[in-house]
Formats: sequence, structure tokens, C-alpha cells
Amino acid sequence: MTNTIWTPELLSPAGSLEKLKVAVLYGADAVYLGGQKFGLRQASDNFTAEELKEGVEFAHERGSLVYVVLNSFLHDKDLEELPEFLALLSELKVDAVIVSDLGVITEIQKHSNLVIHLSTQASCLNVESAKLWKKMGVTRIVLGREVTIKEAKKIKEETGLEIEMFVHGSMCMAFSGNCVISNYTQGRDSNRGGCAHSCRFEYSIDFNQDEEAKKAFFMSSKDLEGIRMLTEFIEAGIDSLKVEGRNKSHYYAGTVSKVYAEALRYYKTHGNFLSDDLIRWEEELRKISHRDYTTGSLDEYADESSIYNQRESDEIEYTVSGVVLEVKENEHILMEVRSAFYPGDELEIMPFKGRIINHKIATIKTIAGIEIPKSKPGSVVKVPYMAGAERFNLIRKKAEVRV
Amino acid sequence: MKFITYAENKIQLEKLASLVSAGKVNRDDLEVIVGTRTLSRYSEMGLEELLELVTLNQSLKLPLVLEWDVLQQENLFLKNKETISRLPLHEFKAIRVQDPGALNTIVETYPWLKVQLILENGNHNFQGLSRWSSFLGAQLDRLVLSNELSREHLSRYAGELSSGLEVLAFGRILLFYSPRLLLSPLKKEEIQKSLQDKNIEAFGTSEESPHAGFPLIENAHGTFMFNVKDLYLLDHLEELKALNIAAVRFDLRFDESFNHLETMLDLYYGRVSHADINIKNAHPRPMIKGFYNINKTDVLFTKLKNKRIQRQDDNYIGEIVDVERDQQMALVVKSKHLKLNLGQEVQLVTPEGKVKNVNINTIIDTSRLEKQSAATNEIVLLPFLSGVVAKTQVYLVQ
Ligand code: SF4
Repeated sequence: MTNTIWTPELLSPAGSLEKLKVAVLYGADAVYLGGQKFGLRQASDNFTAEELKEGVEFAHERGSLVYVVLNSFLHDKDLEELPEFLALLSELKVDAVIVSDLGVITEIQKHSNLVIHLSTQASCLNVESAKLWKKMGVTRIVLGREVTIKEAKKIKEETGLEIEMFVHGSMCMAFSGNCVISNYTQGRDSNRGGCAHSCRFEYSIDFNQDEEAKKAFFMSSKDLEGIRMLTEFIEAGIDSLKVEGRNKSHYYAGTVSKVYAEALRYYKTHGNFLSDDLIRWEEELRKISHRDYTTGSLDEYADESSIYNQRESDEIEYTVSGVVLEVKENEHILMEVRSAFYPGDELEIMPFKGRIINHKIATIKTIAGIEIPKSKPGSVVKVPYMAGAERFNLIRKKAEVRV
Repeated sequence: MKFITYAENKIQLEKLASLVSAGKVNRDDLEVIVGTRTLSRYSEMGLEELLELVTLNQSLKLPLVLEWDVLQQENLFLKNKETISRLPLHEFKAIRVQDPGALNTIVETYPWLKVQLILENGNHNFQGLSRWSSFLGAQLDRLVLSNELSREHLSRYAGELSSGLEVLAFGRILLFYSPRLLLSPLKKEEIQKSLQDKNIEAFGTSEESPHAGFPLIENAHGTFMFNVKDLYLLDHLEELKALNIAAVRFDLRFDESFNHLETMLDLYYGRVSHADINIKNAHPRPMIKGFYNINKTDVLFTKLKNKRIQRQDDNYIGEIVDVERDQQMALVVKSKHLKLNLGQEVQLVTPEGKVKNVNINTIIDTSRLEKQSAATNEIVLLPFLSGVVAKTQVYLVQ
């Protein structure tokens, strides 16, 4: 069969330069990232100018696109610094910017020719809204997570705009951009990157004086998982499938990119998802830290079953042991350690393509070659060469209780 | 400066009309917002009731404004488009919209109908406001601004924008708007007793926040959470007038607030002074000025990240990824353009901000072979330097 079947772009989060590399290598067709300002993840690493340059070069060399988020609702003084950043983005030839504020759109159009995507923060939910944003000059709409795939299809057909939808990750319980809890409770503007995730807290709810207050995580949302909806996305012609999570780990960026990229590649070749691999992909998505999954509003508008009424727990099936920094064939591997492992442990290499490779770790050494009984998170260790490992591969281990 | 408020039923509309007749408020100074259960976020008026109210107003002649402020996905939105097409829009002075889809519908289908554009969500800069204003041109009646804008910004916008501006002077501050029904799962029994058409109201207290008693409403449009304190700018009415703000809004829809109407009108006209009134004590919740004096909700951001662990400039060579005390430090060369060569001087900047300069006298690779230089992506070992830890940034001194 020829490789001509169309599938959407897979757009992965790149919270840092290293995560960008991981996402691209694990199969993302495009990544989105934030600079030091103007995006919605103020507390995260984000990209300096130099990292941005390197990130764009890295992605472009491998055929992936780079979108830069400028999706804060900016105040006047924030806008003053924007033209300089826009000049940098133009010079680096980023593929688009993701924006939610009309003032920012206006500045971009005044100072650059950058392609503009409308951020989900603008909560574009219907055909008429998309038509209006088209008049304002955007070429792609990242729809609100409340929109169904069927509605998205209609929006695309009636506007001719590119449509991007979230396929995986955490969800804002509010209409995106319509929550300012942190602004008033913590003095941190949630629409300029200061969200304190107040929707994840437990609340006690008083309905009336006679009734006892009910405790509930009533505003907390389950995580979105769209792997079972891929056929619908493809048939609706949705241009881009976005994975949430710039603040999440390398493991998350790698696993989610790998799973969805693999699934889309499968469809490209077979024209369907009729494969046992679907179960394997789902299993993989369960191995990353997540709340219970929901399909959100992809099919029907999200209802009660999409509420995650419980405290987040740390019970995870797999832990990330580390990231491969260097491979010297038949000699050793250097790993940046994320969580401790021990000689004799079964480690699993996640190759950029294909199935997981298992290896038993015989010895662990410092870089200088001194044998140690345990790897320490935050350090770099030398382990024996494992066939199949490549730089930036993620290595994981089944979680277990050690007495 | 106009006095804007809401009427939620015939009684309230008649009350407003009686205040006009009694000379408590000039008809021209007043504007009354009305909505329906489907078009507005909080209105409980049915369509029939709205039509009756509009008929009643033919004799009362109050300036009515129709509110269409819900955000809606396509399928729900289409129903509202249909509702709008059936309403006697000529009876309204203007329509208030928030969803850009609602705005586009009005612009394309009813170009004669004045628009009050609700920009309370975001829209915190001059460029955006003036773009919305020029987009709507003559059809724009007013821009309804965010309560996160400070006096300083309101002053600038009122001075530089040609369009009229409106701000909230009294009322609840909306913190959260979700289309999902979040309270009814906790209220199952009552729902079965067919409460569907009614709002569910409650107060929520978060485990993490020192604030208690956030008012909550769930209705057909989803769930809304408000701040524990309401907005109170009644002591700034003169100032707002002087700033050239076109309209101030008094949102009296919740609690017993409508009872304050006359007092507020007295205050608005300067018939009583702010010091004479007792609204703050009579009101069920505490009140604040929000961000009227200053908005500093971005100042914490710089503290949230450690700038020292970010690479800074062209001389950046790489990062220390591992340190073995008294032995060696491992450096990853990250620069694509610079190499680390023997004999060079480098500067190390630790995450705590300590700076150390050192000459590179040995470079050893991970197989323990001596090297002359190290290039991009290579990991090399340098002699241990006390105080240096992982994540220390390394720069060439040139
Ligand atoms: S608190 Fe929750 S709903 Fe609000 S912005 Fe943050 S994630 Fe979204």
C-alpha cells in the first residue's frame, strides 16, 4: 500500500529545548513552545533566544514545524517589548504564532508577516466566531475544548480555515481564558501565565444553612484522551491534533508523541486503526502520569462523567529512569537520571519508532567509572551499552515498592 | 455618564420607570439591560416574559438593551441565532454581545443595530480595544471594559478612544465560567424533583485559599463562580465621570441588591455623599476595589523562575550536568557554534548566582581519554571546582 492517505499534523508541547528534541524525535510533526514572555506558562523553563534558535533549527532539520505561543492577554506595557520578539521570530522563521488577544494580533500584523493561529484561549466555539477571527487575519483556529469534532468539521467547511483541536492532556474546566480565580485569590494573572490550578482543589460546598457542606473536587476535570477518536478527527479533516502539556515531563512529551505518531503512521499505511496496536497505544498512555481519562467534548458535550472528583494520587505504573545523553557503541551509555534504579533492574528503552526494548542493568557507574549501588536522581551515570538506544531516548522502569 | 442596570422582570422595570417619573433619574441617563434564559448567562426570564416586558416598555419608554452574553458551541449557538431572528430587535436601543460569533451575526445580519461589545474578558491593551472599535465603526455603541483595568488605563483609553466606554461600578466579580454542570452532581435528589429549570446556588470554600464563600451558580449555561468580595467603586463615581467614562454599570441582580437602587441613584447624582450611605454594611458580602487602583498581577512571575539556570548569550558553551565532589564535573557542550578548547577561560554561573572563572587545563571524554577540545553534544569531564553544582551554566570568556 502507498503512503498517500492523509492524516492530521501531530502537534506536541515543547516546554524546553530538551523536550522539543524529545517530542520531535518521537514523531511530532510540529511543536509549540513559549519564549520568556507572552505565553501562558510563566513559571516553566521556556526558551531563551538562543534556545529558540537551536530549537527551530533542530525541528526544521527534521521536517517538523515550530509554533510559538503568544497567547497571554497582554497589558499595554507587555506589548512594548513585543516588536523585538516578533523580529526574532521572523528572523528564525518560526512557522506560526499562536495568539488570543486582538491587540497582540494587531501588533503582529503591524510588525511582521508571521502566520497567526488563534489560541484556544480565545474560546472560539462556533462558525460565526471563526468567521470573525478570519476577518481579523488568522489562518488557523485552535478551537475551544468544548467543541465536538462534528461541529469542528462544520466550522472548517464553512470558513475554509485550518482547524486545530486538542487530542490529549489536561483540561481547563472553564471556557479557556474565562477563568481569573488566581488573579483575585493569589494576585497572579491566569491569562498571563499565573494560573494556580485552583480548579484542582477540594472545595466544601454549602447549598443552604440546614444542610451539611459537601466536600468535592467539583471543578476538577479528567484528562482528555482522543486516541479512540482518531478516525473521527481524520474523517472530519481536522488539520492538527494538539497535545497539551508544556509543563509536563520529557517522558510525557515523548510517550504521547510516540503513541499518537505511531497511530497516525499506522493509519497512513492501512487506512484504518483495526489493529491490536490500539490496545497497546492505550496501555502506553496509561503508563504516564495522568488523571482518569475522558473524551471530553469530542463526541458529545462533556458531562458529569468528565469531572475528576478525587485528589490526585501518585500511583503510577512506570517511572522514568532517565534520558540517554550519550551512546558509545559496544562501550557504554550515559544517562541523566530522573529516578533511582539499581543494578539488576529491568529497564525499558523507548525507541523513537517501534516497540519497547527491555534490558537488565548489570552495573551502574559514575561517569568516572566508579561502580555505585544505586543511581541518584539529578546525576549522570554510566551503564553498559544497550543495543537500540539512541541519544534522547527515554528509559523507564516499572514502578515497584522497595522495602 | 450613564447609569446602567439590569431589570429581571416586569416589577423591576416598573420600579425603574417609577423612579424616572419621580424625577429620581433622567430617562436619558438610564439604560436597562434585559435578557432571556437562553441568551444571557444569569437571566431567568423566558422568551414570552421578555416579549411582555418589551410590550410593557412601549408605554414606559425606558431605553432597553438586549443582552446576548453567553458563549456557546455551534449547535447551541445556532438556536440562539434563531431566537435573535424572532425578537423585535427594533425595540432595543442596542444589543450587548461577548462571543465574537454573536458579534459577527449582528454585524452581518443586523447592521442597523447598535452594539455594546463586552470586552470584560482579557482585552487589556489599547491596540486591541481600538481594533475592536474600528472594526465596528458606526455600529459600535460602547465597549464594556474589564474590571482588571486600573484607573490609569481607563483614563488613557477614555482619552484616546473615540468609542464610549463602560465599566462595572458595583456588583459581583465573575471568576470562572464553565459550560459544564458542576453542582448538580452533588445535588442529585433535588434534580430528580425536577429543579432543572432553576438555578442551583451555593457557596464554595477552597481548601487551599484563605478566602471562603465563593458564590456559585449553576444554570442551563453551566457553572459560574464569583469572587468572595464584590466590586465597589461607588466612591469613585465623580472620578470616573471626570475620566470621561461613558457609562457605569450597577449589577444589582444578586441577593437583595435591587433594594439599593434608589440610594445608588442618589449617589450617582450627588444628592448624597458616599460617606452618608450604608451600602457596604447592608450588603451580604465584603467589597473591594479590585484592580482599580493598580494591577500588579504579573510581578510574581519573575520570582517563579530562576533566570540563572537559563542560557543567556552568544558565549554560552553548555551546562554542568553532573558533579562528583573532589573528582570532576561533567559538562555537556550545547552550543552549536562554539567549541571548548584547552587553554580557554570559562565562566561558570551557578543556579544560586555564584560566578567562577577558570582556565581549562584538561578535557577528558567519557571513555577517560584526554582531548584537545569538545564540540556540540559532547560530554566531557573537567576538574572539580568547589561550589559548582548541576545546572551551572558555562560561558566562554572572550
Ligand atoms: S484554575 Fe483551572 S480552570 Fe482556571 S485557568 Fe487554571 S486550569 Fe483553567
